Amino acid sequence: MPLSAYLSLAAVLFSIGLFGVITRRNTVGILLGVELMLNAVNINFVAFSRFHGTALGMIFTLFAICITVAEIALGLALVILLFRMRRTSTADHIDWLKG
Amino acid sequence: MNGFVLAPTAPLGLEIGLGLLMLVVLSMGLFRPSTPNRLTGWVALIGLLVLTGVAFAVTPGGSLFAGSFQVDALAVFAKRLFLVSAAISVLATLGMSSDRFAKRGSEYHFAVLASLLGMLVLSSARELILLFVSFELMSIPLYFLTGFLKKDETAGEGALKFFLVGSVSSAILLYGISFIFGATGTTNIAAIAIAMASGSVFVKLGLVLTFAGIGFKIAAVPFHMWVPDTYEAASTPFVAWLSVAPKAAGFIVIFRLYLEGAGSTAMVWVPLVSAMAAVTIIAGNLMAIPQKNVKRMLAYSGVAHIGYLLMGFAAVSASGTGMILFYLVAYLFGNMGAFLCVQAVGSAEHSDDFDAYKGLAQRSPVLALSLLVFLLSLGGIPFVAGFWAKLFIFRAIIDQHMYGLALIGAMATIVALYYYLVLSARMYIEKPDNPQPVPIAAPLLVAILLCAVGVVVMGAYPEPWVRAVMDAANGLF
Repeated sequence: MPLSAYLSLAAVLFSIGLFGVITRRNTVGILLGVELMLNAVNINFVAFSRFHGTALGMIFTLFAICITVAEIALGLALVILLFRMRRTSTADHIDWLKG
Repeated sequence: MNGFVLAPTAPLGLEIGLGLLMLVVLSMGLFRPSTPNRLTGWVALIGLLVLTGVAFAVTPGGSLFAGSFQVDALAVFAKRLFLVSAAISVLATLGMSSDRFAKRGSEYHFAVLASLLGMLVLSSARELILLFVSFELMSIPLYFLTGFLKKDETAGEGALKFFLVGSVSSAILLYGISFIFGATGTTNIAAIAIAMASGSVFVKLGLVLTFAGIGFKIAAVPFHMWVPDTYEAASTPFVAWLSVAPKAAGFIVIFRLYLEGAGSTAMVWVPLVSAMAAVTIIAGNLMAIPQKNVKRMLAYSGVAHIGYLLMGFAAVSASGTGMILFYLVAYLFGNMGAFLCVQAVGSAEHSDDFDAYKGLAQRSPVLALSLLVFLLSLGGIPFVAGFWAKLFIFRAIIDQHMYGLALIGAMATIVALYYYLVLSARMYIEKPDNPQPVPIAAPLLVAILLCAVGVVVMGAYPEPWVRAVMDAANGLF
């Protein structure tokens, strides 16, 4: 398959993730959207890596996966903290600051 | 260079020292949970002061890992700036009442140092993987620190908003980096300039996406929404640092990706950046006017200051870049000082509203005078640091014949003076409700006075600072 096919797949996944982040009401749903965006990026890296015949992109993907895990773990911890205080995980209800 | 560091890793000396300090601070909390919070703070502070001393003794030069980690003049300058700001923030944190930490003082300081380590590595990174990893090492502890006072009703909310915006921006940044990698086939930053010169579409797309990602971090309009909520929710000595150091780090990344070695191809970014600078200055200043909470006012005024910094970037010249560095130092003293005064008043009055500042000059003349100096510096009144910073930025863009942008910047300065002076009037003209002096913890007072001295000295003797920033900036062109 040509490079453009992989890039298009990644672009579609990235857009779906971004759409999810913007429209989802549930904070866990928003986190899922972020995950989708980051995984779309990984597809990009691996596709470019094959295209250039270098392993650099795959190495980058490994680093990206590790960092994503750390980031999402922190995000879930924050969601749990808020859930304990307010008994809700819906973004609309988290509005004590003026925003 | 540093006699006590093994020769092959000498360029990494500061980072290794900071890593050791992190281990000490963390293990103090792990093995002796009963350690007083103040003690970990003092250990972190003394370690940071030693590292700052070393950083001022280091001379530029040296590289590691096949050139992906380089200690050039800009990197050394940035490391000094990060270390000084972190030391001031940790010093001010020592003035916070100990029970607010709830026995987690070592965690707090560990996270501050971890983020600082990310910034130090970031300023030397010449390779995209290292750049991204250190960028995230800088960012992730900041989300944690925002939500650190987890018993506070708003801390978790501010942290979650910051986290969601931050993680989306990292995803966009990484998406941009993947296109840069796709265009160049290597993760070396030097290859970006070559790909730009060949007119590759992917590299332009990648750099635009990366700019959006960094825009979130430096809080340029339209990516600034997280700033006021995050600043309002987090503990003030931390916000003082958050409002300066990560922004400076963002600009270092911008220099590395968009200016270094790019030559004339960097001019592609001028329309995008100058539009963003103009919008950021105008929107930041206008949104600051109706604020009733001093932290939110300073948050929006901070957004406006980012606009002035972007203006220096739009000049795409050595003087523009150097003056961004000068502005960052002036902003470090002025903005951190202002936030530390907010901490002093806020912890006495339990409120950050403008009304809490009524008659501050009669209650605590020193505190009021320091805050006045900081506000005047932020507003750009002659003969304090901020005045030279704005003047030099304007001169840099007028040298490039961008008169419209300079005019917008100058007019917005007048708007900004309005809300700075409203706060000053509260302090100096109105009568206090309660004539008691505001109690200030000694470390916090020292930190405030340090910032005040910095602002005044920079205002009185700008030449040595200008020489230092130009030395750092000239390497990029």
